[in-house]
Amino acid sequence: MASPKELRKHIFLAAYSGGVGHLASAFSAVEILSALYLGGVMKYKSSQPEWEGRDYFILSKGHGSLALYAVLCDAGFFPKAEMYRFCQPSGVLGGEPHTLDTPGVEASTGSLGHGLSIGVGIALALKLDSKSNRVYALIGDGECQEGSIWEAVMSGAAFKLNNFTAIVDNNKIQKMDYVKNIVGDYSIANVFEAFGWQVKTVDGHNIDELKYALNGEWDEDKPRCVVAETVKGKGVSLMENNPAWHWRMPSRKELKVFISELDITEEELERCKKRT
Amino acid sequence: MQKAYITALYSIMQKDRGVLSLLSDSGTDYDLMMARDFPKQCFNFGISEQNKVAAASGMAKMGKTPFVYTTGSFLAYRAYEFIRDDICFQRRNVKLMGMGMGMGMGAWSTLGASHHTTEDIAALRALPNLTLISAATPLELARCVWAAYETDGPVYVRLGMSGEEELYDETYEFKLGKPVTLSEGHDIAIFSTGTITAETVHAAERLRVDGVSVKVLNVHTLKPLDKDDLIAAVNGLSKVFTVEEHNINGGLGGAIAEVLAGAGIGIPLMRIGLNDSFAKGYGTTAEVRKLNGLDREGIYAQIKQNLN
Repeated sequence: MASPKELRKHIFLAAYSGGVGHLASAFSAVEILSALYLGGVMKYKSSQPEWEGRDYFILSKGHGSLALYAVLCDAGFFPKAEMYRFCQPSGVLGGEPHTLDTPGVEASTGSLGHGLSIGVGIALALKLDSKSNRVYALIGDGECQEGSIWEAVMSGAAFKLNNFTAIVDNNKIQKMDYVKNIVGDYSIANVFEAFGWQVKTVDGHNIDELKYALNGEWDEDKPRCVVAETVKGKGVSLMENNPAWHWRMPSRKELKVFISELDITEEELERCKKRT
Repeated sequence: MQKAYITALYSIMQKDRGVLSLLSDSGTDYDLMMARDFPKQCFNFGISEQNKVAAASGMAKMGKTPFVYTTGSFLAYRAYEFIRDDICFQRRNVKLMGMGMGMGMGAWSTLGASHHTTEDIAALRALPNLTLISAATPLELARCVWAAYETDGPVYVRLGMSGEEELYDETYEFKLGKPVTLSEGHDIAIFSTGTITAETVHAAERLRVDGVSVKVLNVHTLKPLDKDDLIAAVNGLSKVFTVEEHNINGGLGGAIAEVLAGAGIGIPLMRIGLNDSFAKGYGTTAEVRKLNGLDREGIYAQIKQNLN
């Protein structure tokens, strides 16, 4: 099982191979995805992606695809070589996850405000069939500006989807600026609670805390929300909490910081032929 | 037509408990009956079309067959991106039922363009993986609902709301993708789609009285279009007309023009519909059709003046 630091290294090398990637968004979600897939929270069989007993995960914030790919790869859904074909004609891993392309990806996302509703549908169908599988959806705090998110939040409570957990990657930054500078300062936890969800707020970079919250005690009849307090770009000092890094790759000078802070060797970098 | 829809869906839901009816606060007394008889198959998502369409994608992923029913303008326009990304792109087995086609919301058309579906064919026709059907009569709609159920993949059905004239008898066999020849003729052909087809049939009768031999085809399936049948239908004719309760741009007329031009057939074609405008006026659906030149007299007059 790869450590968060190793996962970030894989993510960076995949992006470096493809020449592109939403690094900061992926880095903020590494521990969340690691807890779910590698920390024993979710049931799945990587050799049998369609196994009926599995739990379901939807990456509603599709820009974080590289973090999902890194944990799916580490869990054995596809070989590591695939990571280094990211965003390349020979590969199956695109900039946004696509269910028809990639084993383990349950839904295609990319346009924001879709995945939570897809999760509502999966959770409702599971309840109709009296199945105990759980559904998880990861949304971004910026994504919560989409009105459809709140349509889904209302549905989750109205249909009493106690088999559904929404995780908010609350990294407080969106493409152009800090979230609060665009839509004001508000408490996501309070809004979810007001809509009838049970909410826990955790350190989103602490895997034990995430696991404890996700697996812990919850109300019987409410959908669950975990607000994961995160830092966008977590793991590389240059990127952390800096809106400039929504969509860019390091310059030659900046690359040295990435190599040093992610423990990347010259050979590893050399193996990933940079395309741009 | 709404009764025909509910009756067909009722039989399907009785037969297959994996078939679900999803509403957006868009139901009638018929739906209350459905919810009473199939409580585990009926869900009112409230006024949230985007959420409902994406949730239907999730339900279909789990093996359910959701019938997503609401006012066509809110389904096709408001939820368009959700139909595109969550249903078509992911090839989910969801049946989209857009109610109130063209300018009519039942017998009345009092709410104006916000409640009209007069650009939906153009928008939906552009979506890969989607089958698009526009039913002309209640009986045809019932057949369409079954065909949608039996088709594996995304299907969108345009359906009228009430009181449509029936053009078929019980022996009518609906074949997905195959236009229906309602009458034969050797001078001109009129292609029509949806509930306005009844008006087209009456306009054609008047043209016949004037001595024009008119072939009328009901193109119920707009996507995929049966190119061979359409090409064969215009063989030896002098002109083709298309009639639709829709913008003349991008709808049935556009689709027919693409097929004929693509096959190298140089026959004159006139598209009858809304002339790149929103429909004007309020009243009964019949009155609003008349105001916009799309009642039987209006269709007759437009064809008569443009025969040559």
